[in-house]
Amino acid sequence: MPAHLTSSATPSPAAVSRRRTVKSPTRLALERFLRNRAAVGSLVVLCLIVLASLCAPLLTHWDPSYQDLMNTDSPPVWPAHPLGTDANGIDYLARDLYGGRVDFLIGFVDMAVIMLISIVLGGLAGFYGGWVDAVIMRIVDFMMNFPFLLLIIVLQSLVPANTVWLLILVIAATGWANITRFMRGLFLNLREAEYVLAARIVGAGAWRIILRHMLPNVLGPLMVQATLLVANLIFTEAALAILGFDVPVTVPTWGNVLKGAQDFFVLQSEPWAWLPPAGLIFLTILCMNFISDGLRDAFDPCFD
Amino acid sequence: MVTYITRRLLGMIPMLFAISVFVFLLMHMAPGNAFTAILDPRLKDPEQLQKALEQAAGLDRPLPWQYWHWLQQFVTGNMGNSFTLHRPVAELLGPALENTLMLAVLAEAMIIVLGIPIGIWQARKPYSAFDYASSTALFVVYSTPYYILAFFLIYFFAIELQWFPAQNAVGTGPGAGSLVDHLHHAILPALSLALSSFAVYSRFTRASMLDVGRLDYVRTAYAKGLSENRVFFKHVFRNAMIPVVTQFGFDIGNLVAGAVILEGLFSYQGMGYLFLQAVYNRDYPVIMATTLIFAVAILIGNLVADVLYAVVDPRIRYN
Repeated sequence: MPAHLTSSATPSPAAVSRRRTVKSPTRLALERFLRNRAAVGSLVVLCLIVLASLCAPLLTHWDPSYQDLMNTDSPPVWPAHPLGTDANGIDYLARDLYGGRVDFLIGFVDMAVIMLISIVLGGLAGFYGGWVDAVIMRIVDFMMNFPFLLLIIVLQSLVPANTVWLLILVIAATGWANITRFMRGLFLNLREAEYVLAARIVGAGAWRIILRHMLPNVLGPLMVQATLLVANLIFTEAALAILGFDVPVTVPTWGNVLKGAQDFFVLQSEPWAWLPPAGLIFLTILCMNFISDGLRDAFDPCFD
Repeated sequence: MVTYITRRLLGMIPMLFAISVFVFLLMHMAPGNAFTAILDPRLKDPEQLQKALEQAAGLDRPLPWQYWHWLQQFVTGNMGNSFTLHRPVAELLGPALENTLMLAVLAEAMIIVLGIPIGIWQARKPYSAFDYASSTALFVVYSTPYYILAFFLIYFFAIELQWFPAQNAVGTGPGAGSLVDHLHHAILPALSLALSSFAVYSRFTRASMLDVGRLDYVRTAYAKGLSENRVFFKHVFRNAMIPVVTQFGFDIGNLVAGAVILEGLFSYQGMGYLFLQAVYNRDYPVIMATTLIFAVAILIGNLVADVLYAVVDPRIRYN
């Protein structure tokens, strides 16, 4: 969401009373975030999508790998197959719902792993500077000049990820460079801050300063990056599926369902096959982008 | 400036060297090679034939020797022969590079033609209904992955309306291979790429126009009685383009990734398609050549961004 949509909000009664009560910066950020309608709406939609995929067995009784051989290539039939079936008789609704599980698993686990790597490496580079910084940044440069997608494809073709966890590992191993560079910039800015100097003087160790003093101060940008990263990971999953480097097609993921429609006949005559996964990928990424925009505005001290 | 560019170009050599070693090791780590798959098991003695083919390609030698041999050939301009397509790699790269350049240039042109005017228009009347509506619409389009846009474009323009082809980089029949034919085939993939990224330019342009519009010299221009249009297009626009122009260089990385996905989706015979085919077939010489060309493109893109920065803004000096 462009910044001006939130910045033009008129001071609410809450803002007037705030002068009297003291609130923590996180509380203020949360309040600003909750006032951003696009971001809150996106959060609700996203929660619904996550919930729907978690509660998949309650919404469909089909297993995403069960072949209903009496009803192959079926158009949507209520209530048997609300979104039809594919050429093997597998229910599309079940694949879409269970596919969300795999997508969110990849998105959130890889996000956590990549954020961890970037905090550790970015923190070390930013805190120590000097040769530590130089070594870490050369590795980051190397990873960044290596087209991320190419690396993932080459790795995938060598270590064919037959399981979701292997794919998660491959993505985590290749996707940390950009964020690490970003985190390093944040930590580098804080390096000369007075409270960091004070912490050094009282003899706090490197990790204590990085994790207890610096990290809370970069929480805002960190959360913005984390939401963007999840959107990016879900984008990557489907892109890899379309190129044929995803988990095997039998595993339901949104990308795999979308890939199934990559043929002119299905594209033209069976919109129920490709519109739902396309819509789910689009909605998830859109919501993530709106949320990250809301977070960016909420944590920006220049606003309000 | 020349020394700066030379230094940067020289700095690319170790990076490219590291990338080539890395790709080389990765490729050879996995079991099997290009010849495992293509040999017909009904042949009389497939193992012996495979051994002979591997020997001819030098795959039976120790890895350091193989790498050294490849490097020696590569720096003298010989990129080897493709294992599966049976042609010199250089011959394959020519048309592929041409097609990808066509796609990239067309996409970049669409991005600029769509993105910058919308940004200017928004900055003309900021915070108006048009500004809000178009910003939101752009945000939505920007959030749509290009392969999903491609699905919709194929559905509407290739299947329903049949205006543009959705397969291959050149057509068949008379006129095949002409510039028009090339452009005709490049339009849908280029449009998918452009639609998902022109919003970046609009946002950049809008923000930059508004920033520059607040400066003192703009007030001076108004004060001496220049017309609104003249101030806007002559005085504000030129300075506002500084941050926008530098974006060009960074686009290259984006275009590379986009090219791989979209060329795969559209079976468009460019660099990305060549790379994907080579990966499917374990065609080592082609993988090496395409990855290195992509890496060079990204490195040069970053350099171009830095140089453009200095060219459009004389205050920046690299020395």
